[in-house]
Amino acid sequence: MLANVFTKTIADRWKGMTIGVISLFALLVMGMAVYRDIDLSVYTSLPEAYRSLFNIPTDADVGALAFGVIYGSYGALIVASLAIAIGAATIAGEERNGTIGLLLANPKSRTIVLTSKGAGLTAIVAAAGLALWGTAWLTPQILGVNTTGMHPGALILHLTMVSLFFGLLALAIGASTGKTGVASGVSAGVMAISFVAVGLLPLFEGWEDLARAFPWYYFTGADPVNNGVDWAHIAILIAGCVVFAVVAVVGFKRRDLRSQTVGVSVIDRLRSNPVTKQFADRLAGSVFVSRISIKTFSESQALIYITAALMFLVMGLMLGPMYNLLDETLRNLTGQLPDAMLAMFGGGDMSTPEGWYQLETFGMMAPIAVLAVTMVMGARSLAAEEEHRTMGLLLSNPISRSYVLFEKTIAMVVGGAIVGFSIFAGVAGGSLLGGLGMSIGNIAATSLLAALIGLVFGALALLLSAATGRVKIAVYGSTVVAVLLYLWNALIPLNVNIAGWAKWSPFYYYLSSDPLNNGMNWGHGAILAALTLILVALAVALFNRRDLRQTG
Amino acid sequence: MNDQIAIRTEGLTKHYGSVEALNDLDIDIRPGEIFGFLGPNGAGKTTTIRTLLDEIHPTAGRAEILGLDTHQQSVEIRRHIGYVPGDLAMYPRLTGRDTLTFFANLRGGVDWGYVDELADRLDADLSKKVGDLSSGNRQKVGLIQAFMNKPEVLIMDEPSAGLDPLVQREFQSMLREEIAKGGTVFLSSHTLSEVQRVADRVGIIRHGRLIAVEGVAGLRAKGIRRVDLYFDEPVDTSVFEAVTGTRDVIVQNHHVSMSFDGRMDELLAAATQHATLVDINTQEADLEEIFLTYYRDEAEVPA
Repeated sequence: MLANVFTKTIADRWKGMTIGVISLFALLVMGMAVYRDIDLSVYTSLPEAYRSLFNIPTDADVGALAFGVIYGSYGALIVASLAIAIGAATIAGEERNGTIGLLLANPKSRTIVLTSKGAGLTAIVAAAGLALWGTAWLTPQILGVNTTGMHPGALILHLTMVSLFFGLLALAIGASTGKTGVASGVSAGVMAISFVAVGLLPLFEGWEDLARAFPWYYFTGADPVNNGVDWAHIAILIAGCVVFAVVAVVGFKRRDLRSQTVGVSVIDRLRSNPVTKQFADRLAGSVFVSRISIKTFSESQALIYITAALMFLVMGLMLGPMYNLLDETLRNLTGQLPDAMLAMFGGGDMSTPEGWYQLETFGMMAPIAVLAVTMVMGARSLAAEEEHRTMGLLLSNPISRSYVLFEKTIAMVVGGAIVGFSIFAGVAGGSLLGGLGMSIGNIAATSLLAALIGLVFGALALLLSAATGRVKIAVYGSTVVAVLLYLWNALIPLNVNIAGWAKWSPFYYYLSSDPLNNGMNWGHGAILAALTLILVALAVALFNRRDLRQTG
Repeated sequence: MNDQIAIRTEGLTKHYGSVEALNDLDIDIRPGEIFGFLGPNGAGKTTTIRTLLDEIHPTAGRAEILGLDTHQQSVEIRRHIGYVPGDLAMYPRLTGRDTLTFFANLRGGVDWGYVDELADRLDADLSKKVGDLSSGNRQKVGLIQAFMNKPEVLIMDEPSAGLDPLVQREFQSMLREEIAKGGTVFLSSHTLSEVQRVADRVGIIRHGRLIAVEGVAGLRAKGIRRVDLYFDEPVDTSVFEAVTGTRDVIVQNHHVSMSFDGRMDELLAAATQHATLVDINTQEADLEEIFLTYYRDEAEVPA
């Protein structure tokens, strides 16, 4: 173990995790405070389906409910995502930055360098777990909530292990391939699919056991917050961690280090083939570099197309026919839930196909997909050019800063629109395939609102990017704000006395008008569009006034 | 437009918090001139250039290029300039040609025949991705990018970084051709020899202050050199200190080293008089040495 590599890993990475833990603490306090004041009787009638989706314990104690909702889904997603970011950057990030050669020029073996970095990752995730455990103990004390009989510690142990599992998966892929994009993309994809699958599969009779094939099952499957630690599940996660660690060591040892060269894309192969050269040259050589907006778009196209394809196929098309397979009693039961309850899950009422899509697609996954694309594009827009030191050269051309920002905004709008359209096409197609007879116009309206809510937070990321020139601040800043406002809108309506405050969250203008049933609410759409414009205008003002960063 | 002055700064000042990156800089550069901007690392060269390009905004003072204000009219200025940033970075996934196409599109097109001619002269490979090029070859793409729109003013921050000597020579003749056509070059460097070879005048900057502007001929006349003498027996310091033009004489047993700007025949006469001279090594003094010798007082940062 190299102490300095270990501590450097922690020093480089603790900030993001700290922000994540603090945000989760704030969410838990907010959630528990709201839950404390509501009538609990409705929760006891919750159907199994909701419980498996949101990990809500059977003996609905107010405290446990908040633990389950906040830490059982959002918490694990956030901590595991951060672990993936750390794991992917561990070896592959140093190769991308061209620092790996220098690091390995020291008389230390690859294995020991990798082990030290892996230990750093483990320590950060463990520390996050400990901190969350502290907040889980502290919050009920502050709010005077009785949590007797609950096992938040067990939930957090499972959460920590599943996060480490995904972090080490990213580390193994990154160490074996040297590609950060592949490492974080594949790991995040596996995480998202397993999260959705473990939520969905138990809704269908006979498919429940399939959930065991997905890692997320060993986090929530045994309902640790109610039943305590399931050591068999923990052992399975640990075994996975060990396998990934071994793969990382072996994979890293055996391969050549990557120099800072760039990868070969499909278009590059077409360009080197004499038959396709002319066509490919035209595409790559003149179209992609014809404008800043098109070039910017092309740099994010992998993210856009993969997200759009997943939303179209999995969250759109597939769900239509699946609705017909849903258990009849389950459908009827959810039809009886009070509105406040439904609002918490994005307003889904499974007795109608609209409710089904609202719950599964539009409530959470659609905003996540659109926001992921718009926020990444917004955050990278200006700050990535500054961090890669290309902004000075770009702005030495006879174009104004406002023009650059405008072009970057266009690319982001197109990215959000494509994901929005893929959701529309997927859900409309799913409705047709399943013969659900949903209104195409209403699906379009809801997808449009989803794209618009994405643009609001994309514009926020763009604003932070324009104001600071730092990608990380823009990504983390806009993510924290988005998660807080999302839950603000989800939780505040649960308490009738303060339900009106939900209007302060932009997410209120996304689904509160129930567009899947009522069609487009142009007023709400206008509010979201206006918010976007205001944020972009602010970004222009701040970017024009600021000194460009000098990095490197 | 003011035809008399290509680049002018008036009291240009940039502070970062309490750090004075640039202090009260006054420079006038005439059209048809190569102005060398010399200074050690961190002296304020890049800060000056970034202010001229409107990347950063001055704390006080102003600057103009071709009579246009660098802040108010920066977009118009950029139609007339070519720029090579220091520590050049470009888009690694684009080929050299894609990179040039991208920038050409932002300028409303360029003469591609001229681009090919430039690529030929610098021996640049435009078909490879920028990320796969060595730093010298990447620099060539950056240079073509600066020259390709036939700018009236070239602003270059350490432009020959990474270039091999042959390409450096070609680059320098390209600079001279620009001047012959009436262009202006603002060339920042920390290498005295490069600036001496091409520049007409040199501004020397240190700690954010312009401490001298001189013709290159004048600077060369100062001709300070570093001289090392090796003898077959130990020698005495006093022998050399008596010769006009010696400074900082250090004697280590058989070896004497010094800064020298006097007459070489006098030094050699003194050296051979007392002992047998075995070897002699003399080289151009580095910039730091000239600063220390001539500009020691001016370079002090006021308390």
